[in-house]
Amino acid sequence: MMFLSIEKLSYQYPNGINALQSVTLSIDKGSSVAILGSNGAGKSTLLDILLGYKPSTSVSLYGKPLSTYGRKELGRLIALVPQKEQFSFAYTLLDYTLFGRAPYLSPMGIPTSSDNLIAYEALAKVGLGGFENRSITALSGGEQQLLIIARAIAQESEILLLDEPTSSLDPANRKRILTLLKQLHSEGKTLIFTTHDANFAYELSSDIALLKGGTLLGYGKKEDVVKSELLTTLYDTQLTVTEIDGRTIIY
Amino acid sequence: MSEYEKQKRQKMITLTVLLALSVLFGILSLFLGRYPKAGFTSPVLFYTDSVARTILTKIRLPRVVLALASGAMLGASGFTFQLLFSNPLVESGFLGVSQGAAFGAALMIIFAGASSLSIQLSAMFFGLLGLVFSYYLSTRFRFGGPLLRLVLAGIAVSAFFSSGLGVIKLVAEPTKDLQDITFWMMGGLWNASWGSIIPTLVVIAIALTILHMNRFTLNLLSINEKTSFSLGLNPKRQRVILLVVATVGTTFTISVTGLIGWVGLITPHIARKTFGSEATHALPASMVMGAFFLLLCDSFGRTILPTEIPIGLLTSLFGALIFVLILSGKSQEGKA
Repeated sequence: MMFLSIEKLSYQYPNGINALQSVTLSIDKGSSVAILGSNGAGKSTLLDILLGYKPSTSVSLYGKPLSTYGRKELGRLIALVPQKEQFSFAYTLLDYTLFGRAPYLSPMGIPTSSDNLIAYEALAKVGLGGFENRSITALSGGEQQLLIIARAIAQESEILLLDEPTSSLDPANRKRILTLLKQLHSEGKTLIFTTHDANFAYELSSDIALLKGGTLLGYGKKEDVVKSELLTTLYDTQLTVTEIDGRTIIY
Repeated sequence: MSEYEKQKRQKMITLTVLLALSVLFGILSLFLGRYPKAGFTSPVLFYTDSVARTILTKIRLPRVVLALASGAMLGASGFTFQLLFSNPLVESGFLGVSQGAAFGAALMIIFAGASSLSIQLSAMFFGLLGLVFSYYLSTRFRFGGPLLRLVLAGIAVSAFFSSGLGVIKLVAEPTKDLQDITFWMMGGLWNASWGSIIPTLVVIAIALTILHMNRFTLNLLSINEKTSFSLGLNPKRQRVILLVVATVGTTFTISVTGLIGWVGLITPHIARKTFGSEATHALPASMVMGAFFLLLCDSFGRTILPTEIPIGLLTSLFGALIFVLILSGKSQEGKA
């Protein structure tokens, strides 16, 4: 059975602009898919549709349209790591990580000790163990991103959607996030992430989808898709793919 | 026992102590008043004096119960509004509710005299109308996100009702109606009687129960809307439901008490400072602290001078002082 399939997906904004046009993708369980494209290519819209936030009948998970899943049921299958979280209140790291347990709680329930244990483990996994009672407002940008991932880990979903996970991070934090996401991928999580950074996409993904103006320019194994000509067309600027010391570099 | 479990237990103990203190103070304030003279009434008098007994059961007791319930409602709805709008400076009178209620009360005072039931009903109706107008206007705005639109619509609706209130005050008969309007706007619990407060108590009890049962959801509605959606919520629908519950509770409360400011702003702040920002404990703490604060202000206002000080003046005075203290104090919690 197909894991996650997107069949001729088109999406139009209320103002009439076509955000996506006839996009078809099939995503295998356990793969790591980068959605690469410039600003306005439709990457975030595609992610919103995969989350179920923007309704569409063109996306199926385990052969069942996404729109037919219950809200909590979908929360147990798909977690989101947004580009930026809204932290208006000084929750502790543990409080925020426990939010990830929401899809498992009974209506109007609150987290139990076993949820608490899962949250502790998630924080330890991202390297924030021991800081459970620290306020989220005291965290740096990189640590906040790690915390958001910890919350998504606590959600114990099969799929992790990540919207520009390293866009505002310095190289050290970018590396931390990359290592962590590679680990999650190696443990069997399906990663689907948007990014502007072709090198980051190449390092983390198994497959890459190239989006330009809402249409799919290419999709497949990263080695087949990341070509100088395709990337040059994608970004409307000269890009070269080369190999240095066995590593693929895009510049 | 883990550190988390220990903290949880500690918070429960603190919350229980606060609740017990509020109830104890409620009992104590039954002995405070202006009969036979301003100050403390000897318990012996309630055995010997039938007037004192009537005052206790028919005036002071409903008043104390109303103070506790209203304070809890204002504290809870302020906390709820702050989470729903992801803004710690929002309070329950938002979205045109307070100004709508004030307009409704003033309207009834000049047209139908000062019958307390008609004032209550009118204040409630226009308070809710403020919410409906704000929501409707926000759907017509073409600027900003949904929350910003709602806030802007609330400001516009409040301004409409304020100008209407100004006109009413301008034409009100100055020796009677204008004074009544001014007094209503300063808030007071002197009208409390079992007959007038029971419907409000029922609504407050229902609203507080719903908010308390949804306290974990409230946390989730304070973060990024897409994140709360990904956590299994229907954020738009759940936000509207909880907003309506908090507003209906507030409107019923101020329809009986008149305008009482600052409780919904201050108590959530103190509750978060004491119990942390997570709503599981901070929401009930905000209820208990709101109840205690309002009871304290009411007891003070009806005891300290031979004439009663309107409660709204005291909550504003003490609330503003506490607010200044909170904001100028060293914060370990950042924004909240």
